[in-house]
Amino acid sequence: MSPAARGARVRARAPARRITRARVCAAICLLVVGIALLGPLLAWASPTEQVGAPFEGPGAGLPLGTDFLGRDLAARVLHGGRLVLGVAAGATVLATALGLVGGVLLGLMSERAAEPVMRAVDLLAVFPSLLLLLLFATGAPGSDLAVLLAVGLACAPFSIRVIRTVTRQTAAGGYVRTARARGDSAWALARYDIWPNIAGTVLADAGLRFVAAVHLAATAGFLGLGRGAPAAHWGRMIRENLPGAALNPLPVLLPAALLTAFAVAVNLLADHAAARRAGPAGPSGAPHA
Amino acid sequence: MNRWAFWLRRLVAGAVALVALSLLIFGATELLPGDAVSAVAGPTATEEERAAVRERLGLDRDAATRYLEWAGGALRGDLGTGYLGARPVTEVVGARLPHSLLLAALALAVTVPVAVVAGLAAGMRAGGPVDHAVSAGTLLVAGLPEFVLATLLLWALAAGPGLLPQVSMVPLGGSPLDAPEILVLPVATLAVSGIAVATRLIRARTADIAATPYIEAARLRGVTGPRLALRHVLPNALGPAVQALGMVTGALVGGAVVVETVFGYPGIGRELQEAVAYRDVPLVQGIALVLCAIALAVLLLTDLLARALDPRSGGAR
Repeated sequence: MSPAARGARVRARAPARRITRARVCAAICLLVVGIALLGPLLAWASPTEQVGAPFEGPGAGLPLGTDFLGRDLAARVLHGGRLVLGVAAGATVLATALGLVGGVLLGLMSERAAEPVMRAVDLLAVFPSLLLLLLFATGAPGSDLAVLLAVGLACAPFSIRVIRTVTRQTAAGGYVRTARARGDSAWALARYDIWPNIAGTVLADAGLRFVAAVHLAATAGFLGLGRGAPAAHWGRMIRENLPGAALNPLPVLLPAALLTAFAVAVNLLADHAAARRAGPAGPSGAPHA
Repeated sequence: MNRWAFWLRRLVAGAVALVALSLLIFGATELLPGDAVSAVAGPTATEEERAAVRERLGLDRDAATRYLEWAGGALRGDLGTGYLGARPVTEVVGARLPHSLLLAALALAVTVPVAVVAGLAAGMRAGGPVDHAVSAGTLLVAGLPEFVLATLLLWALAAGPGLLPQVSMVPLGGSPLDAPEILVLPVATLAVSGIAVATRLIRARTADIAATPYIEAARLRGVTGPRLALRHVLPNALGPAVQALGMVTGALVGGAVVVETVFGYPGIGRELQEAVAYRDVPLVQGIALVLCAIALAVLLLTDLLARALDPRSGGAR
């Protein structure tokens, strides 16, 4: 076999493997999201009722054992994801909405008018997001809405920056200048000239924000912010059950594994998407669009 | 613009940013002033007791006056008194902050060499086996929330095998350095997540530089291996790398809260977390302000350092 032919075979094989990996990652994401959203419907037992001794191992009737208060761990795992992913999804919607409005407006503005606003946005981006979370939780203790707001605000500056950049790139195009010269309103410009060209980037950006928001929402639960006990929460379960990890490690390991699997799978997917978009292979790189 | 004007402008910008952040801190924590009163007076307090508490804490005055008083005090080095135990906030910060700075310094001392070496090794041969290994590893770790990483390390090294203490208790009246084994897990957690972030940034920058014509020219002249990486690539990657590490230092502020809480390490982050749990508003405000000032100072320093290290910024600009 000539070296060139061998090279072609290697190149042909690599995308197939990459695509399999991407499919596995997508399946893991869907599985975790499915557990979080549908778990409360599947759970056969109450997540807050005491059914046994603390930190019991898996046994009859208790497939995963019990947690630190002797509650059914399986039920708590099934119930504990909805709050994490729900808050994260709400925060992502907030961040993307702010990013879309702010980014498009700032992108269409003149450089000089946008500059001071961008300074403020950068300042918010520098602010440690966990600190923002703690401050909001102090102002409104025990409120999931405060957690959602804080996570959304912490994520928004990055969305604004990304969306402003693509808006400016799009706005430099000839057809946008033509539309401006024609006297189109700013709304028409944003809706018909800008939006169709930035929609893909906005969605990809929302995906990245969602991962960050899941991180923050889980950390908030871990630190005891937002709605408190006895509601099940993957982040808080790790904290609650840490003292008994030697007796029954499952109450700590399962939520940690779910959060980890989700984060890693989404990161690998994002990496795959970025590689495919930037890949030199062109048509052969994107056969499964 | 000469060097001094540049420094001055950055300093003024930093001061303005700190004022803006102090407004944000004060606004976010004082949105619901009723809560501090019920936290101090207790849930069964009568209306008169609540009014007395409100007056004692000075919460009966309007927000603008209280902000100016607080900010003015902060300028004189007085951050007020915490509700819980009536400790002066500056005293708490003075006692706890050194512990956290020690943690952050040790974590940085581990992060910087590892991230630079791994980032250079991966970026010099983008797409090679080293790059694949480093990129995959950092991608996996960067996806983990810090508290999950801390919990996994705790479980793998301390809870099961008992190699290290699970709780980082500082000896009474001593410093963390009297019992160095308590520092291992907190530093390891901060370092691992810091390395993951910093390595990715340095690798990306190195890969960009390694693809430039002047590096190709150096390669053709026969310069290879560590000499090429250290003499030709590193000087141009240093500026962005310093800025990347500045970002990591900023992230250490948030990471400290989580890590100190997991390991029970007596630093400023755990103090902040407890103050939030007990709704000790002055303590939360004071610690948040100090942390913001530190984050801004680090940002300023890394900016200046990056400028000084950039080989192109030799002359006046």
